[in-house]
Amino acid sequence: MGYMEHFSVKTFKQQLAMKKISLAFQGIFSQDVLALIGKSLRNTPESRVIAKRLFAIVIEMAQNIHHYSAEKQYSEKDGRDIGVGIVAIAEDDHHYIITSGNCIVKTEVPPLIERANYINGLSPEKLKEFYREQRKAPQREGKPGANLGFIDMVRKSGNPIEINIKEYDETRSFFILSVRVNKELQN
Amino acid sequence: MENFHIDGSTYIPRIDFNAETGVLEIEGESYHEYTTEFFGPIFSWLEDYLEESGKEITMNFKMSYFNTSSSRRFLEILTLLEEYQNNKEGKVVVNWYYEENDVDMLESGEEYADDVELTFNLLPY
Repeated sequence: MGYMEHFSVKTFKQQLAMKKISLAFQGIFSQDVLALIGKSLRNTPESRVIAKRLFAIVIEMAQNIHHYSAEKQYSEKDGRDIGVGIVAIAEDDHHYIITSGNCIVKTEVPPLIERANYINGLSPEKLKEFYREQRKAPQREGKPGANLGFIDMVRKSGNPIEINIKEYDETRSFFILSVRVNKELQN
Repeated sequence: MENFHIDGSTYIPRIDFNAETGVLEIEGESYHEYTTEFFGPIFSWLEDYLEESGKEITMNFKMSYFNTSSSRRFLEILTLLEEYQNNKEGKVVVNWYYEENDVDMLESGEEYADDVELTFNLLPY
């Protein structure tokens, strides 16, 4: 069997084009990968503020994968285990849709859903208060993140975050997170 | 006391803390994966620097992007400076620069200004 029958880059590219996926990365989310994604998002045609919001959301998703994915690989360069996952940006006429996917331990699913629901239910003012209150709270033991990612995603996008959980294996679920960002700046 | 300097790169900001002039600057982008590690030496330097009372300090933030984890570290820096002003006869001015039209960066500055009791200037560039 030829290589081409095993995997068609052309079909894959057509699929990406059909879904209007402008950026997709699958693998270990090392610091270098983040920097590269950051650079490529600079070329977003909309305003700089929108480009920065997209970038901010992608970075928060990527860093969640880096730290919390339940599938890890050792990175020689970083000298530690780094989370594996996928991040993609698609678009329709009025929005960018940023989606991330990674494995998480099953027991972590309910608290994440609960947190997302709580944050989605807050008004912009309450959300701002909650962000500042959480930022003042002490750093969580053993967790490198700031516990602000979900809040920041909702604030930056102006839209709720969506969570989807898929079966993966006995101990882990596949965690899918999506956020929609308006192309037009609204205030 | 020695000055403190870190060259900026894609994901770490340029840090320039001048012990003689009291001008402390953070500029660029900040999205290191492990901000506690990256900011560790910065806090050590600051703690030494703030030992002696009565200093006049200008803290300049000129960020184009920072992640949520860096945003925590910035609040910790500002809180240190606030304590210094309150307890050690320090005089601290914070200049928060934001790119003109960057409404999000302006809002971040406004929030920090509300979080700490320091003279806070919000300056477009």
